[in-house]
Formats: sequence, structure tokens, C-alpha cells
Amino acid sequence: MQKLFGLFLAVILLAGCSPQAAGSELVVAIPTDPDGFHPHQSVAAASAEIAFNLFEGLVKAAPDGSIIPALAEEWEISPDGLTYTFTLRQGVKFHNGRNLTPEDVVYCLTRLADPDLSPKARDYTGVQRIAAQGNQVVITLAQPDAVFLALLTEFGASIYPKEVEGELSTKPIGTGPFTLSAWEPGDSLTLAKFPQYWNPQLPKTDKIILKIIPEPTTMVNSLLTGHVDLIPRLEPDYLHQVEGKSTLQIIDSPMNLVQLLAINNAVAPFDDLRVRQALNYAVNREEIIQGAAWGKGTPIGSNLTPAMGAWYKDLTAQYPYNPEKAKELLAQAGYPDGFSTTMYLPAPYPLHRNAGEIIAAQLEKVGIKVRIKVIEWADWLEQVNRDRDYELTVVGLTGRIDPHTMLNRYQSQSGRNISYFASPEYDELLVRGLAETDHEARIEMYQRLQTILAEHAANVFIMDPSQIAVMGRDIQGWSNYPVYVLDLAPLSRTE
Amino acid sequence: MYWLKKLGAMLATLLLVSALTFTALYFLPGDPALLILGTEAEPGELALVRAQLGLDKPMAVQYWHWLSGVLRGDFGRSLTFSRGYSVARLVVSALPVTIPLAAAAIFFSLLLAIPLGALAASRPGGRLDSLVLTLSQTGLSIPAFWLGILAIQFIAVELGWLPPGGMPKWRADPGGAALSLLLPALVLALPRGAILTRIVRAAMQEALGQDYIRTARGKGLSEWTVISRHALKNALVTVSTVAGIQLIQLLAGALVVEQVFSLPGLGRLILSAVLLRDLPLVQGGIFAGAALIMALNFLLDSTYPLIDPRIRGVA
Repeated sequence: MQKLFGLFLAVILLAGCSPQAAGSELVVAIPTDPDGFHPHQSVAAASAEIAFNLFEGLVKAAPDGSIIPALAEEWEISPDGLTYTFTLRQGVKFHNGRNLTPEDVVYCLTRLADPDLSPKARDYTGVQRIAAQGNQVVITLAQPDAVFLALLTEFGASIYPKEVEGELSTKPIGTGPFTLSAWEPGDSLTLAKFPQYWNPQLPKTDKIILKIIPEPTTMVNSLLTGHVDLIPRLEPDYLHQVEGKSTLQIIDSPMNLVQLLAINNAVAPFDDLRVRQALNYAVNREEIIQGAAWGKGTPIGSNLTPAMGAWYKDLTAQYPYNPEKAKELLAQAGYPDGFSTTMYLPAPYPLHRNAGEIIAAQLEKVGIKVRIKVIEWADWLEQVNRDRDYELTVVGLTGRIDPHTMLNRYQSQSGRNISYFASPEYDELLVRGLAETDHEARIEMYQRLQTILAEHAANVFIMDPSQIAVMGRDIQGWSNYPVYVLDLAPLSRTE
Repeated sequence: MYWLKKLGAMLATLLLVSALTFTALYFLPGDPALLILGTEAEPGELALVRAQLGLDKPMAVQYWHWLSGVLRGDFGRSLTFSRGYSVARLVVSALPVTIPLAAAAIFFSLLLAIPLGALAASRPGGRLDSLVLTLSQTGLSIPAFWLGILAIQFIAVELGWLPPGGMPKWRADPGGAALSLLLPALVLALPRGAILTRIVRAAMQEALGQDYIRTARGKGLSEWTVISRHALKNALVTVSTVAGIQLIQLLAGALVVEQVFSLPGLGRLILSAVLLRDLPLVQGGIFAGAALIMALNFLLDSTYPLIDPRIRGVA
């Protein structure tokens, strides 16, 4: 036994002299493994945010939400909005060393739009023809589709070499600034600088280790002890542990996530507009932002966030906090003494759970008794999201860079319309918005869509919670996006 | 014949465990396809993903598909958790965390329990005895997650002596890996050591009352020799049984401590697989856990004769 203990001590002492790695290195904490890297199969947000550094599409999203060139150096859209001509960048190499060709683009996008192979095909049903033409790729649409370019920025539209198709899920080969050099599931992913990246300025760091740490407390402790350099998304509940530390910087910015109290518009008493409006008056957004998000959030009044720039319409004044008015509306609807209802809250999301508990207390004040049921995410997805067997729930809807994909879930027949919202005017405007090629006219339409949602009190829209990034003071190059990505290439450590 | 019977019983148990897990998971609400697609799921996509994952087949067909794979040595692929990785690889990669953690925890708890228990038993009712009993009562009452969080806060964060969680790969950084396991192993060892201390104390007291101890003392052996060579050796039979059971429990997953210290062990793997309804991964993880436990049980059964000569020849 003494020998064994001696051995253990010896192993521990060895730890002191582990070799120092050469080259610059950063350690970033993430909470979970990705669900694989096949652009057409993988759908988890956790995959897309990492894949942003490994793959590129023809175009990509910029931090301000605009669409910028990536594999396509430039593009042209015909005046009728039906033909897109992309000119490919010269000298782009895949991670396997082969040059990018227009045929690769045609292959990937054709496969992406094939409903038998790709679960993401529904976004591309309007694509009629994808063809290579010299150094160009020409895509023809059946009807104008204002969202099309924005869709091409998403992970699904990444370009990879055809020959790696079978292994892509665990061995991603793209054209991005980093290659995936190791993936130990449950432990870490290691990204290595791709020396032949078309932009020689990037990436700034040779090696980035993405450490998988599911426990937020462990994440924070690892940062405090220097085992981790950066936490891209910190749960607000843990903010107080890092605030006021001289070695750390905290950068919070809009996340473009719509947090809402979803209401099932199809069941009594919520099928009554006055009841839904009463809920809107009874909810105090400011209190939720303070209580659930520690002040790190922006109130919203409809299903878009200020991160959407010109598309966004500020509707927070539609229902100011007014419990008296709420009681009045309830009385008019025939509930002078209020009623009882049930609210499902998703267990793995403390932000939504905390918000739900605060809302329940606020509704209590106007006479609505809320029974809270905290359920597992798998149950939430089945019961609430798929079967819509619920009355109230709190959840977050991830932002996209085009308003259409955010707002079309309220189309009356949409499979994602968990509120059972139905408005003929809304449905009609959505169709017109997609076909509209004039930018200004389109903005007006999407602002109107947001107004309709607010006027009909489809849900109680709460806030856009801030993304809270915490990192060492010596880390620079952090940029925030209105979409769910993690831009690692510009990150570096100042010497 | 004896061995064949034993092996047959083990295989039957494994089959039963796998069938039970499969059935339980099948009837549990939640659907991996839904979890994959999240809030953006449309019915058409759901159907496509379900078909791609083979979830559209009847339960018996799915189970047979899994079982026939296992018979060929193929445990399938993970559906959600790092999709595309083979279940065998994910499960095997968790073992170098779980096995050394469990072994180190039991090692530390024995290191704590044997001297303390023996000391307490040597002067029953004495001041040392009551101190040891109080300490063990305290150790028993402290919940592991709380102790873990506290240990991380003081030893890792404030003092910076040990890493606060996570674990490098053994082959990449063996020293770092051992260091990462030290604190969680100690946290696991404390309550187990507390129980073992009491077991050692009771077993020692019993042994010290035996005739052969009087004989040994009568021979004029020193008290140290009497305790360490004669009494302790006999007491260890009982102690090893309890320690063995504790080891088995730890192998099945020191889930809470793995979670607190972010260790990629078997317990955490199975938990996340269940939350994601990743059927093949849950099956593989539970299968591995059950196989491990049975192998250990078997091993323990065969070591008793080594510790206790009286058992030799009985089997």
C-alpha cells in the first residue's frame, strides 16, 4: 500500500513539469459537444457556432448583421430577383489541400436543397437550378426570395469537398481559418490555424482549445484560476462571481434571442384577446430583466430584437406595466376574480425558469394563479413544442439575420407556430414580404408584421437577453454577432 | 462447468439489463429527433430525421437491430451527442476517468479508515474512540456535491493548488490527469472512509475479542504485532467486502462528483445520453457499466479465498 501511495505521489509530482506548448494558444470554455459537423445533418446551435470557424459558404454574416463576401468575392442579383451570379474567390484551398472549384459549390448546394437527403431542404424549395459557369456559380430561383442570400450565410450552406462526404460529421473539411485537429467527445475540441487560409491576416492565434465544461460554476472557477481564457456565454446567475475582478473583462452585447412568455392562443381563456392583453399589461419586463438576467437584457415588444437593426420596430410602449388595466381587461373578459393556469418551464434554462417564476408572481397580483411545472427539455420539446399541449411557457427563440425566418413561424399553418397565432393579414403580408425586392418597402412590411403580433398580443414578448462574454484583460479581438456564432479567428492575447 | 454456469448467468444478466434499459427509454417521453431539431422543428423534417436515425421502426425491430449489432461487436453510433462517433469509442474513452477515480477514492478511504478504525478499536470507549466516532459521523453527513464545491472554492480557486475541474487526457498530460482526479477522489473518499472507519472499528473489536488474540498476547507479542498481524488481517475480510461494494457503486458512476468537477466519466456520459434520449449511447453506457460491475464482482468473489484461508476449498 505504501508503494502504491508513493506511485501516486510520483505521478502528481510529474505534473509540475508538463511540457509547455509552442505557439500561441487560447482556451475557450463551451458547455456541450457539437452534434457533428455535417452541414446538412447537424442542427444544434453548439455545432453551428464552432463550424463558423471551420467552414465557409459563398457569403457570411458580419458582426453588424450585414452580409459580406466569403467564398464568393462578389455577386450580382438580376433585377427580377430570380438569378444570383456568384464569382468565386481565386486560390481558395480546402483543408485537405485541394483547390475550391465551382463544381464543389454546385454539389453542396444541390445536396442541401434535396429533401430526401437534407433536413434543411425546406428553406431552399424555391431553388430551380444551380450551375457552374467558368469561375461563377449561377443560382436560379422560381420566385423572388428576399431571404435567399441570408440563408446562404448559415452553416447549412457551407462548402466542402465532395470526396469527404462520408466522414464529414467527425472530420470536418472546409475552407475556414481553422482546421479541427482533435475532438475528444465530452472533453475538448482543438482547432489549429489553417496556414493556407485565403485571408493571410487570419487567424491571429495558432491553436484554440474549446474545453467542454457543462457546469457553469466549474466554468467560472476555471476562468478565475487561469485554466480557461474566455467564456463566450456566461449564465447571468454567475455574473457576480466575475464582476470587479481586475484581471477580467466582461463584454455584454445583444444576443438577438427573443425571450417570450408563449401563450397558447387556441385554448380558453387565452383565445380571448382581452385576456392576452391583460397578461401583457400584468407583466413587468423591467423587473424580469433585473431579477432573471441581472439587468443584462433589453426589453422587447414583438418577435424581433434591436439587434436586427432597421428591421426592428420598438413596440415596448404598446403595453406598459399597468396591473390595474390588466384587472379591468380580465373583468371585461368575464374573469373579475382571475383564473388558474399552468406554466411549463424548461429545466435546463435557468434564465427562462427564473423569468417564469417572476412572471407567475406578477400574474398572481392581478388574480391569475399560475401552477409552475418545471420539465426536462426533451419533454418540453415533445409536449409544448410538438404537441402544443400547454397554456403558458417561457422559452427563447434564436435570432437569424433575416426577419422573415424569425417572423414566419407565426404563419397560421406553420409547424413552428406554437402560439397557434392566426391572422389572415399576417399570412398575406408574409407572402408579399418574401417576394418584395425593394428594400425600403420590405422593411415597412416586416415592421407591420411585428405590429400585428403586438396588437393581437400573440405572446408576452419579454427581452433580448445579453450575451455575456468574460475573458482575461489580455484577450483582444472579441466580436459579437446577431447570429449564434463564435468568431475565433480575430482573437489573440496581447503580449 | 462452474465457470460456464457463471458466464452464462452473466450473459443472461447483461441481456436482461439491455432489454430493460431499452424498454424504459423507449417509453420515456421525448424523442431524439425533436432534441436534434429543437424549437425550429417542422413535421416534415422530423419525419426525415427520424427515418435517418432508424427511429421510425417498431420497438422490437429497433432492439433486434441493436442486439444483432452487439453480437457482431458493433454498439452503434451516437444519435445526438457528438453525432457520428461510435458508442464503443465514447464509452471506452470514459473508462480511464471512471476506473482510476473509483480506485483512488477507495484507496484514500481505506487509507483513512484502517488506521483510524484500528486505533479506535484498540481503546474502545476512550477519548480517541469517541473522537473518531464523531469525525466519522460528520464525514457521513456531508453531502458530496457541497463538499466538492467547497473543495473547489478553497483548494482550487483560493489556494490554486489543484485544478478546479475538467481533466486532460492521460496520454497528453499524465501528471495533469492524476492531479485532476486527486480532489474528486478525496471528496468521494471522505463519506466512504467514514463508513469504512466504523466497519474497521467493529470488525477489529470483534477480532480483538477472539481466543487467538489472547493466545498471541500470551505468547508475548508486542501490541503492534497483535493488532497489525493478527487482528487486522482477520478484520480485513469484512472490510474488503464493504469496500468492494463501495467500489462497485463508484464504477456505476460517481455522477454528482463527476458533474461538479466536470470529469468526462461514465456517469456523466450516461446522464447526458439520457437527457438527449440518445438510445444507442445509453444502451452502450449501461451495458459497459453492468459488465464492469459483474467483472468486478467476479474478481472479488475469487479474491476472498486469498484473504481468508477458511474460505479456500469451500467453492
